[in-house]
Amino acid sequence: MAPPLQPLRRFRETSGPSRRSLLAGVAALGALGAAGCSRVPTAAATGGGDLLSRLRAAGVVRLGIAGEIPFGYIDRNGDLTGEAPELAKVIFKRLGVDRVQPVPTEFGSLIPGLNSQQFDVVAAGMYVNPERCEQVIFSDPDYQMLDSFIVRKGNPLGLRSYQDVVEKKAKFATGTGYAEIAYAVEAGYKEGDILIVPDQVAGLNAVEAGRADVFAGTALTTREVVKKSRKAEVTEPFKPIVGGEPHVDGGAFAFRPTETNLRDAFNTELRKLKKSGELLRILKPFGFTEDEMTDLTAKELCGG
Amino acid sequence: MKWDWSAVSDFMPHFWDGLLVTLQILVLGSLISFALGLVWALLMRVPTRWVTWPVGAVTEFVRNTPLLVQLFFLFYVLPEWGVTFSALTTGVFAIGLHYSTYTMQVYRAGIEAVPVGQWEAATALNLPLRRTWTAVILPQAVRRVVPALGNYVISMLKDTPLLMAITVLEMLGEARLFSQQNFQFTEPLTVIGFAFIVISYLASLALRALERRLVH
Repeated sequence: MAPPLQPLRRFRETSGPSRRSLLAGVAALGALGAAGCSRVPTAAATGGGDLLSRLRAAGVVRLGIAGEIPFGYIDRNGDLTGEAPELAKVIFKRLGVDRVQPVPTEFGSLIPGLNSQQFDVVAAGMYVNPERCEQVIFSDPDYQMLDSFIVRKGNPLGLRSYQDVVEKKAKFATGTGYAEIAYAVEAGYKEGDILIVPDQVAGLNAVEAGRADVFAGTALTTREVVKKSRKAEVTEPFKPIVGGEPHVDGGAFAFRPTETNLRDAFNTELRKLKKSGELLRILKPFGFTEDEMTDLTAKELCGG
Repeated sequence: MKWDWSAVSDFMPHFWDGLLVTLQILVLGSLISFALGLVWALLMRVPTRWVTWPVGAVTEFVRNTPLLVQLFFLFYVLPEWGVTFSALTTGVFAIGLHYSTYTMQVYRAGIEAVPVGQWEAATALNLPLRRTWTAVILPQAVRRVVPALGNYVISMLKDTPLLMAITVLEMLGEARLFSQQNFQFTEPLTVIGFAFIVISYLASLALRALERRLVH
């Protein structure tokens, strides 16, 4: 008792493109796409760039932030704040740029977004490390920082370092594009086994729900995010091992590689703030202390 | 624009991992949605409001809320009540459930398109209800709707990247992770773009072959 044959057959013959026309269409689309890919001009590549004068003329600088408390985030009133944006506001005002405009994105999209002109500066307290130095240039760090773990209350597995995580075979989680991925891999954790979550809140959730035993992040982020949790706690801050040595990280502002003039002008003002002690006063409301003040330079952290 | 073949070859191991996950989601999600959709469609024909109203309410609710919101809810909110599944299980279930509310409508159309004479003939032959459905109505109804179901397989394939939001590393997730670690975006995204075209084209060929078999 088959359904009527005729109508179905007619339907099949007229429906959809033939195989040949479909392939031709795909080829045409590909050609269109290739033609449409003109190069995006990446500023004046010579003479260190003129971004600062363009920012002065516009009167506004766009800051890339990753929604991480206390580094750079939008507060309850909808205002941009965090240690990096607050510091950027002060320094850019001195450089003659009055307003800052936040561009919130995911942490892992900060460097690509900077290089594709979606914002002018990364103000997310980003760690300076050699891989990132190949993509962008950094100001000198405005703070130094240790790592810390989010674990379930009472730290049932006794995790205090990346070595512990490997030895106890704990399920390890961290954020997209975080420097902590490399630290865990260096300690011997298999990269494919790492649970990558979008941000620290999702990381806390993963630990609370038992999808991960531990979430690694900076000492400050993890401390802030567990404040709202009843099921998780944060471990003592510690130094990760990098290249066989205990390592202290420094967070800084990132610029496009062509804009060395802007970076140098920024550094000059940053150094003045460090000298006068104003830097600590700006960072203090976000939980930073004397311990986090640093004389590290971007050059040292870039590894040469 | 620079094209770097070495980035492509570096990406390939990650690509195969992602492809495997995407195909798992697609196959399991399709099976769930086809089976569950049929269940919904049959339940809607039970001649009592006590069944049709709750089923109608649930399926309309699922159909009229975004898949992404459902994924977030199942993955981030359910664990608060002690219900925890792995990311992949949650994703497969969510996509299967979501699409079952579409396939349900497809089955309904197929069932309603069976000529009323078929029902009358089944009654005249004194066939029991069970046999009327399994031997007369459903074989005709399902054949009619295979092309429409195939559409949803393609659509589901294109929705699999949504699972990236709940940490499932399917093709787009792998591509993004690779891009963020190596700062190379063009190559991995192009590779998975082509993979999507190839998979959906193969899927549509397979479904057309299935249609042809079912007609004869």
